[in-house]
Amino acid sequence: MPDWVIQLLITLLKGVGVALGLLTTFAYMTLIERRLLARMQIRLGPNRVGPMGLLQPLADAIKSIFKEDLTVTLADKLVYTLAPIIAIGCALTAFGGLPAGPPGSLFGADPWVYNLDAGLLALLAITSMGVYGIFLGGWASGSKYPILGGLRSSAQMISYELGMGLSVLGLLMLVGSTSFHAITHWQANNGWMILFQLTAFVLFLISSFAETNRTPFDLPEAEQEIVAGYLTEYSAIKWALFQMAEYVNMITASAVMSTLFFGGYRGPQFLEGLIPGIASWPYIWLFAKIAAFLFLFIWVRATLPRLRYDQLMRFGWKLLLPVALTNTVLTAAIIAFSTGRLRVWLLVLLGVAGVALLIGFSDRVRVLWTTPTVRREDVNLTPARPAGGD
Amino acid sequence: MMLAFIILGALTLVGGVITIAARNAVHAALGLVGTLLSVGGLFASMNASFLAATQVIVYAGAIMVLFLFVIMLLNANQPVTGRDPVPFVRELAGIGGTLLAGAFVVLAFTYKDPPALAQNVAALRGGTAGAVGETLLTRFLLPFEAVSVLLLVAIVGAVALVQRPVPQPDGVPDTEPAGVLSPDTSLVFEAVNQEAALKQTVLKERGRA
Repeated sequence: MPDWVIQLLITLLKGVGVALGLLTTFAYMTLIERRLLARMQIRLGPNRVGPMGLLQPLADAIKSIFKEDLTVTLADKLVYTLAPIIAIGCALTAFGGLPAGPPGSLFGADPWVYNLDAGLLALLAITSMGVYGIFLGGWASGSKYPILGGLRSSAQMISYELGMGLSVLGLLMLVGSTSFHAITHWQANNGWMILFQLTAFVLFLISSFAETNRTPFDLPEAEQEIVAGYLTEYSAIKWALFQMAEYVNMITASAVMSTLFFGGYRGPQFLEGLIPGIASWPYIWLFAKIAAFLFLFIWVRATLPRLRYDQLMRFGWKLLLPVALTNTVLTAAIIAFSTGRLRVWLLVLLGVAGVALLIGFSDRVRVLWTTPTVRREDVNLTPARPAGGD
Repeated sequence: MMLAFIILGALTLVGGVITIAARNAVHAALGLVGTLLSVGGLFASMNASFLAATQVIVYAGAIMVLFLFVIMLLNANQPVTGRDPVPFVRELAGIGGTLLAGAFVVLAFTYKDPPALAQNVAALRGGTAGAVGETLLTRFLLPFEAVSVLLLVAIVGAVALVQRPVPQPDGVPDTEPAGVLSPDTSLVFEAVNQEAALKQTVLKERGRA
């Protein structure tokens, strides 16, 4: 066999392996999420199928595959089928560019599917295509609530994509490269990025919640308002594909945050003193970090209520975006005008100040000292304090 | 490389044909998305990975979503029927197309070989953001700034167009900015205005009670 055929086969195998791994994680993630949510709400959760409910994902999978696949009469057949495929396709593709270990650690092969110089940009590009799945699914269903969900999701995702893209600019300036390998390597030499770009991390985390449509940003499927949003008319395997896409996106977002801000596949350097070489063991560090972030996603879902639509837009455009812009400009200035130890301290200071600013101007804290503004259509109206926000 | 070029080029053309031929506006927009994605793929196959990512993020990811957003919001996805209100549009399009085709023929026959491949690859520096940014902010600084001014003008224009007319004192009818808006948009504005008026009366009633 010629060399390029072998390379192609290895890449294909790795791609299929990543897809299978992600889908298995998705299946068990649903179980873990339900059990954890139940525990946080003092219930038991699903524990009937198999020991401790461990076979529940299997039962769910069998059910979704063999359920009747309904199509609404008014649906646009082609786009209706295409939408879930786009959603899951983009979700699965995005993960492949992330390195899970040092080169050559996957039985001699590299532990990533593709390696692009524009790594982070390519990932943002692929995830930005994911919005089409939800958006087109909402439109193609040919009914009222799905299209409302679809419109909401597209507005939300475009708004928060900006904040997400801007928040990582400071990081890219520090590293000087968009490749995940360079970012991981830089962190191995200088320490975790979260120390230098705390504001960027907080902004990226919030934007990730919005991009993956998770609580408190799950407006596209707000069940009290619009049934299930874009999912309303979907059933059986197509519905399951949308769910898969959401969870795979969560896993990818967790992996990206681990790679950008927490050292990627490398463990903490101080452990090297105890067991030499432990920091460069492949897989375990990245997987542990992903698991921690997934727990955070579930925890937040159990804790925070959903935002109102105007709160969502105001937060994205009037707080997240300006703070991200300021962070970028100030980081650029610090990089340009300071060196050595001073630069590190200035960056740390900037991070703490940015997070304080974000918390201080968030809707939950700001109302403590500002008088609530009521749009006074009529002077005879008594001023009322609206629920939530200003 | 050649194979990738052929496949992506064919996909670009197919997307373009769908964009023109589709009767449903959403299908046409999706065809355009396909074209833009294939062009991004062409960039990637030429090792310009930064341009490829930017193409997908900006055009396929953001601008086309806005296109679709407007199509769905105004419910403009019904098949277009009836006569085109613009006179001679087919004839003008035919002339324009012929001129464009002629220009391409001239281009194809006066094509000069680019600099040697090794030289080009060195100038690209792996197609990362650095090479593109440096060229944009040194050699093409003036066009770059001119484009940003153009975008600013477009934003100001959009804001000026969608601004609601200043409410007049009672008895004087509000003047609609006639002639600027298409019938569809003015309908939307009417609906929004009506809703606002309704809300105001409800609030007044509540205030009295």
